This record gives sequence, C-alpha cells and structure tokens, in this order.
Amino acid sequence: MDGESAAKDKEGFLGSGAGRFLAMNWALCFLALMLVIFSLTGQNFLSINNFQNVVHLQTVPFLLASAETFVIITGGIDLSVGFVMGLASVFAAKLIQVFLASGMGVDAAILLSVLIALAASVIPGLVSGFVITRFKVPPFIATLGMWGIANGLALKISQGYPMAGLPDKLPGIGNGYLLYVLPGRFVSFFAKPDGFPDSRIRELWRLVPFSLPFIIAALFALAFALKRGSFGRHTYAIGGSMDASIRSGINVDAHLVKIYVLSSFLSGLAGVFNVFQTGIGNYTTFNAQYEFFAVAAVVVGGASLAGGKGRIWSSAVGVLVLAFLENGLALSGVLPFYRYIAVGVLLVVAVVIDKLFPDVR
Amino acid sequence: MSDNNAKGAVAPAGSGRGISSFLRSRWILVFLVLESIFFCFRSEGFSNLNTVQMLLYYGVLVFLLSVAELFVIVTGGIDLSLGYVLGFASIVSIKIIERLTAAGLDPGLSLLVGVAVTLLIGLLPGLVNGALVAYLNVPPFIATFSMLGVCHGISELVINGVYAMGLPKLASDIGAGHFLYVVPGSSSSSFFQRPEVERGTAVLEIVPNIVVVTAIVVAVFAFVLARTRFGRHVYALGGNMDAAIRAGIPVKRRLLGVYALSSFLASVAGVVYAFMYVSGKADAGASLLLDAIAAVVIGGASMFGGSGTVGRTMVGALIIAVLDMGLRMSGTPTFDKYILVGVILIMAVIMERYIKEAA
Amino acid sequence: MKKTVVAVLVVLMIALVALPGFSQAKPRILFMPGVADPFYYTMEKGIKAAAAKAGADLVVAEYPKAWGPENQIPILQATIARGKFDLLLIAPTSTDALKAPLKAIYDKGTEIITVDTFIGDGDYSKASDYSFPLSYIGSDNQLGGKQMAEQLAKLLGEKGKVYCQATNPDASSVQDRVKGFTAGVAEFPKMKLVGVEWCQDIQQKAQEQTLAALQKDKDIVGIFGLNVFSAQGASQAVVNAGLTGAVKMCLWDATLDNIASLKKGNCDLVLAQKPGEMGTLGVEWGLKYLKDKKNVKVPKKVIPGFMFFTAQNVNDASMAQYIYQ
Repeated sequence: MDGESAAKDKEGFLGSGAGRFLAMNWALCFLALMLVIFSLTGQNFLSINNFQNVVHLQTVPFLLASAETFVIITGGIDLSVGFVMGLASVFAAKLIQVFLASGMGVDAAILLSVLIALAASVIPGLVSGFVITRFKVPPFIATLGMWGIANGLALKISQGYPMAGLPDKLPGIGNGYLLYVLPGRFVSFFAKPDGFPDSRIRELWRLVPFSLPFIIAALFALAFALKRGSFGRHTYAIGGSMDASIRSGINVDAHLVKIYVLSSFLSGLAGVFNVFQTGIGNYTTFNAQYEFFAVAAVVVGGASLAGGKGRIWSSAVGVLVLAFLENGLALSGVLPFYRYIAVGVLLVVAVVIDKLFPDVR
Repeated sequence: MSDNNAKGAVAPAGSGRGISSFLRSRWILVFLVLESIFFCFRSEGFSNLNTVQMLLYYGVLVFLLSVAELFVIVTGGIDLSLGYVLGFASIVSIKIIERLTAAGLDPGLSLLVGVAVTLLIGLLPGLVNGALVAYLNVPPFIATFSMLGVCHGISELVINGVYAMGLPKLASDIGAGHFLYVVPGSSSSSFFQRPEVERGTAVLEIVPNIVVVTAIVVAVFAFVLARTRFGRHVYALGGNMDAAIRAGIPVKRRLLGVYALSSFLASVAGVVYAFMYVSGKADAGASLLLDAIAAVVIGGASMFGGSGTVGRTMVGALIIAVLDMGLRMSGTPTFDKYILVGVILIMAVIMERYIKEAA
Repeated sequence: MKKTVVAVLVVLMIALVALPGFSQAKPRILFMPGVADPFYYTMEKGIKAAAAKAGADLVVAEYPKAWGPENQIPILQATIARGKFDLLLIAPTSTDALKAPLKAIYDKGTEIITVDTFIGDGDYSKASDYSFPLSYIGSDNQLGGKQMAEQLAKLLGEKGKVYCQATNPDASSVQDRVKGFTAGVAEFPKMKLVGVEWCQDIQQKAQEQTLAALQKDKDIVGIFGLNVFSAQGASQAVVNAGLTGAVKMCLWDATLDNIASLKKGNCDLVLAQKPGEMGTLGVEWGLKYLKDKKNVKVPKKVIPGFMFFTAQNVNDASMAQYIYQ
C-alpha cells in the first residue's frame, strides 16, 4: 500500500485517479462493494442498528489486529494475543471481585482494577520480547510459549469458570450509547430515559455506542504512532531490513521489545474492554483462535507476513471486511455451513482482484 | 529476523571435531533424549515399550501434518487448511468405504478403493491452493485460510450433524493392530492377529501397523525433499524466488506441486485418522495444526523459507509429543501443564541458540 | 558465562517439571473428562468429594483441549499406562472411536462407567460390542432439547419465531440438543425455528450471530442458548438489542453468569444438568460394585435428569447446589 510514486507513472485506467484509488485501497473498495450488495440481498442489512452492532462487536478484533499489525510489520508474529486478552479479562475481573469484597466502592474498585490490569498486561510482551531479542528465539515459538503460559494462568485464576458477580455498571458502560432518540419526541444522553418501558425499546434510536469513540481514538493514536515519528519509521525499517536498521543506528532489540510490549498491552486493553462488554471475566477458549483472525485481517488489509508493509487503518478495514462478510451473508439467508464456503470463496475473489493491480501497491 | 537459519542454509552439518560439536549441532535431538530420560524417572510408567509405541502411535497424525507443513514452509509459505483437509478426508474415506461395503464389495477391496479415491480427491484442495498462490498471487495465508473454510463447510454439509461412521471391522483391526503379538510366558506369538486370551492376561504388542505405514510415508517424502531435483527446487523457491526463476526452475509448477503434496499428506493423515478412530468429523485435524507448525519451527526451519529437514521436523514433533505425554504421566494438573509446556518449549529453543552460539 | 546459563536453565527445567507433584500412592479411580469446560470441572468436584468420602484414591486425567477422540484418547491411554486402575469414569467424546480402547482397558481388568455421554447407542443392557461398561450415567441431551422447546413454547403461548444459538457442530451432545429442540419446536404448528447458528464456544461470536439473527428476523420471540458460551453470548445480545422481556430466553448450563441473568430478568429459564451428581453416582455405584461383584447389580442406565431454574425458584436454598461453581 505504499507505492504511491510508482502509481503516477502508469497509463490508462491504472494511471487514472479512479484506477489508482481503487488499486491502492482495494480492501476499502471491496468493503464498500460488499455493503452495497448486501443491502440489496440482506434482510435489514442496511440499518444503523446493524452497522453499529457489527462495529461495536469488532472492538476486540480491531485492537488485536492493530497489535498484530505492528508485530507483522517487523516480520514477526504474535500468537499469544488471544490468550493474553483472556488473561487480562480474568485478571481484571478477579481484581474487581477482590476489591469489592474488601469494601471498596464500586467506582474505585473498577478504576483501580482497570489500571492495574492494564499495567500488568505489558508483562507478557516484555517476556516475549526479551526472549526474542536476547535469546534469538523465533517469534513463533516465543509467542506460542506465551500462548500456553497466558492460557494456563488465566485458567488458574478463574479456575475454569466464567467470573460473574461483577457490578452491573460494567456492561452498562460497555454497551451503552451516547444518544437515545425517540424520533419526534426527545433526545437523551448516555442512558435510556428513566421509566421508558422495555416493550417499546424497538422504537428507540440508539446512536453511537461508547465503544465507537473509544476505538476510533485508539486507532487514530496507533496509526499516528506508526505513520509519523521515529517509532513508526523504525518499525518499518526493521521490517524492511534488519541489518540495514542496525547499521543506520537503530537499537533494534530495544525497539522489538517495545513492539511486543505494545502488542501485549493492546491485547490487555482488549481483555479489559471485554469485561465491560460482557460483564464477566472470561478466559479465552481454544476454539476462539482470535490471533488467527487478527492476522487474517492484517493480511487482507494488505500487509505481508514477510514484514515491511502494513497500516493500522488497512488492518481495520480487513477486520470490517471479515465481519461484514459474515454478517451480510447471514442476513442474506446463507446457512452457516454454506457460509464457511462462501466467506472463503469471496475472500479469495477479493484478493485475486487486488493482485490483478500489479506494481501499484 | 534474527534467525540463523534464514535464506539458504539447508541442513547444517556438524563442523569442527568430535562428539561435543556433533551434539551441539544436533541440540534438539540431544534435548529430546534428555527430556525422554528425564520423564522416565519423573513419570510413572513412562519407560517401557508400550509407552514408546503409544507415543509414536498417537503422534502419527502430527508427524504427517508436520511433514506437509514443512514442504510449504520451506517455500516461504504456510498452509492453514491442512487440519480441515484431514477432517474432510476422514469423512470422505468413511463415506466411500461404507457405501462400497454396503453394496456388497469385499471389505478389503472396499478399503483399498476407498482409500485410493480419497487420496486422489485429497489432491484437490492443494491444487486449488497452489493455483491461487502460484498463478494468481494470492498470499498463502489467505488462500489456505479460505480453503480451510471451504473444506469445513463441505465437510459439515456432507455429514449433516452425524459423525461419519460405518467402517467394516477390518478397518479398526488394521488401525489398532500391530505387526507382532507375543503372549509372555507362553510360547504363542502371531503376526497381525491378536491372540485370544482370558480377560486380564497381558499381551505384548509390537509395532503398530499405522506407525509402520507412517514411517514409510515420512521416509519417502524425506527422500523427495533431500535427494530429488524436486526437493532441491523446493529449497530454492524458499531461498530466493528471483534466483530460482533465473536458474530456470519452473517456479509456478513447483509451488502447485508443493501445495498439492501437502494436501495429499493431510489426506493420508485423514485416512489414518479414520482407521484409528473409526469415525470422521469435520474438525478432526483442527487441534493438530498448531502442533504441526510448531514442530517444523522447533526443528529449525525458518518461517521465511529455504531451510528445514524432515528429520529435524520429526525431532521437533517428538519433543512436543514427549513433553505432552511426560507431563500427563507425571500427574501434572491441566492448567499447570499448559504453563509448563509453554515455558519448556521456550527454554528448549533458548538452549539451542546458546549451544549454537557456543559452537 | 554461557555455560553457566545453560546449566542454570537445565536445573530450572528439572525443578519446574519436578514441582507439580502427585503422590506415588496406588491410584484406583480414574476420571477422564470430555473437554475443558465448567460442566466437567463441576463434575470433577462431585467425584472428588465422593472419592474422598469413600477413602478411594482419585486421579484426574488432563482435560482435553477440544471435543473429540483425537484429543481424548491419547490422554486416556497415557494416563491409563501409569498404573492399574480399578474404576474408570469417562465421558466418551465419540460413540464409535472409544469402543475399542475402552474394551481393551476393560479386558485388562478395569471397570468402566461412562458419564454424561455414551458409547454405541448408550444401551449397555443388550449384548453387543459395547455392553461391557457397568453403566451410563448421564444426560439425555435430545430429551433436554425437546424439553427446552416445550418450556419455551409455554412461555410464548405456543406461537412465534424462535432461534437456536448453538456451539460446536462436531460435538455429539450439542447435535443432540439441536435435534431435540428442532423436533420439539416442530410439534407446535404455530412456532417456527428460523435458524441455528454455531459459535464454536466463542461467546463474542454467539453475540454477533444472535444479533444478526435478531436483525434479520425482527419478530423472533424466543431464543435457546445451548451451552455456557452460546447462552451467555445470546443473552447478552438480547440485552444489547434492548429486547429484554420482548424476547424469551432459555439457557442451558447453570453457570453463575446465567443464574445472575435470570435474577436480573435478562432470561427466563436456565436448565441445570447435574454434573456433580453424575460424578457422585458414578463413584458410588462403581465402588459398590467393586466391593461385591457377585451380588451388586448396577443399573445399566441412570439419568439424573435436569433442574429448571426460573425466576420463581432461583433464590431457593435447595436449588443452589445445582449451580456450576
């Protein structure tokens, strides 16, 4: 996605503004195309409600995909993101339980637990990063090891049970909206108006889930870090060529540790958010394979597993592509097992078309 | 990446003199031996013939999948679909064999035909993957990720909620059978047939059929990778694609071949699964894929391609298998085991790096 | 320096593996669970308590990572190889694949009771190649699914569209619940099952799928969440969509979270299996038989049944024992 100067020299369609835009942002165009098609084939697809639901539930994948973006640009991989997320979720929940039991107020307990859990979530990244740089362990193995360690720890803390008994405030914040509008009647902020009957909920317009400004802010911050500033430059440099980076004076080892710490922190952030969103502390199951889908989103977004390429917003688009494929096909009435096939085929089609624009990337 | 094996090196031979450098260059093998000896003392029941055979028997699926992954990884790619190709093959083979026996065909013959047809069909996912990667420039991750979904969907639609079942008894006899049986204390021994004994008497079982079959398959593909022109080309693809093209290697055809081969091996694993577990399901191989890839990486192959051998991959697979079995037999609680496996794997690789650097 | 590091690492490794210990006392009961999830953790507790009470030694095998014989059988065989067991309590993860290995274990002299799931068709009373287990103590998942359909029908006045949030299509117990539910709904001509989705034990996915289903068919009035994760995810989706009360929820598996949902009014019915009781019965019947093989007749099938939690009885002290914790 960074061959901007090369594009300018192309003739014909590929050289035209529209063609270039299409080529460089194919994932985004494909997403737009999908949205249009599914609006026609899907039942109730084209609705604010649906879009908000999908985006809201992709908050965790957005964070994990961003984490993987950094790591993949440097030519590595982080298999532990899913289980570190589970660990953070369980740890935060445990802290809240402990603080509440010791008599602390609800708000204080939540705030303190979140801060501690976030601080602690850099530890897995520190360990992985250290092992990778100091001992030259391949990232695959290092993060695979962390995968097992994080999982085991999460299970030990939770004893295998989802951790309930947390304050109701949590899912209220995690799933709340900024605006509640009853068309023609009133607008209410942050909460459903008191006394509004549940049975009439469907008439209410709920706009802008809390998670939306949260995730947009996070993505902006991360994209900024990657695009401007030496942090981003160094990341791409290392991915491009490790030797050249060393020669140009970059402290590669220190930087890589930072990358894995960042990845681990983002996974922890996702885990903490998860507690707000589900209202319980949940360990990650083996079937979940969050890391799998996070990497897939990054690759769909145009990054290469060999390193050197990738962008936060592209990965975010990748997340949305995967999510809307599922959602759109489901709403179009495609049955589950046919959907597995359809998602696979459509994804390949999308990428094949993408690769038909050579050299413009 | 900071990986000594990247780009070019095939199997580093032991340089220098003597036993210590021999051992150092084959550290993962040494580690495996040490690990095994350790568990012999630490875990009850570990050090006996039965355990070794059990290790090999249940390790068979990962062995086959890891060889499949090795070929793909050596070319610098990855194949995520193999777990579900295995499942697909387990289902297809059982369905075919069941139909044939129901139609009256002799069990032995229907097994043969069923297996052959399944293996042929098993080439298809690989051919599609290979075509996408080689001719349409689809990144291997995406191509095989999508194939995973396709195989999963087709498998589920075929079985429609019920495991594939109905193999003739001959299949489970072969699957669970051994080459040689000896009843200790008596003079009776027999090949292939389990002797009839009273409940409670021990029977010595030697060399499971499945292990023999797998050993042969693995040996064949090890030979292909190490000693044939095809194998040399595979390494070249991973080393430097442009250099390979300049050297006149038919890159696209080779890639196609590699993915077809890996899908074929996964189908072999699927058939083996059917014989071992007399049932077929869609996600039969799903939990094995990560172990297979880990085995390849522990064995020293680089994820960027160009290096790795079947032998080392087997050692990698055995390290994981011994670790799993050893911890199980030492009574380690499940959650602790997850942590320990992670820690020990990292330590094993750390030690390897240290020893290499010291060489 | 490097040699020292290696030496330290070696010692550390030995120490690490030496740490988790299990006494070398002769084990007699082996529990082989089906998969790592709260249902089986609860069953283990029941077994542990019963074994302790009876003074028997208990070994719990490693919990399989995923449902299936390829995960369970290697663990089973490795653990069995540790020594002689008198009684094996196992939740078989395949009706066919486990027949041969279990028969081999039986032939070596171990008595077997299958808990929660079964081999063959679950009927060990007729002579067959799977009649050697002492008993099948478990849930009738198909019946459970059917009962859920009936309960839901009662809540809905026997009409309306319903949706099923399921989990793993490759687990027989899950498939049985779906089949039972589908058959149950079919008996009410004015009810329609609009969809079954599979979340693969991922709670987030269950939420996504349920929300999509609610989006597609805005007139869904009833939902069946079929295990821990699908139930939690589905019920959350309903809360998210603001449809609490408008959509009736029936959840399977009485985890603390689902019970809390019931108390808050976010769902209407929680089905509790009785994993603890299954475990306890397994231990009790097994030990009874081992003491006196000639005279004790173990029933070939014991179905402890289900408990239904509703808003009316959720706070009863007598019901608390059925919560999974």
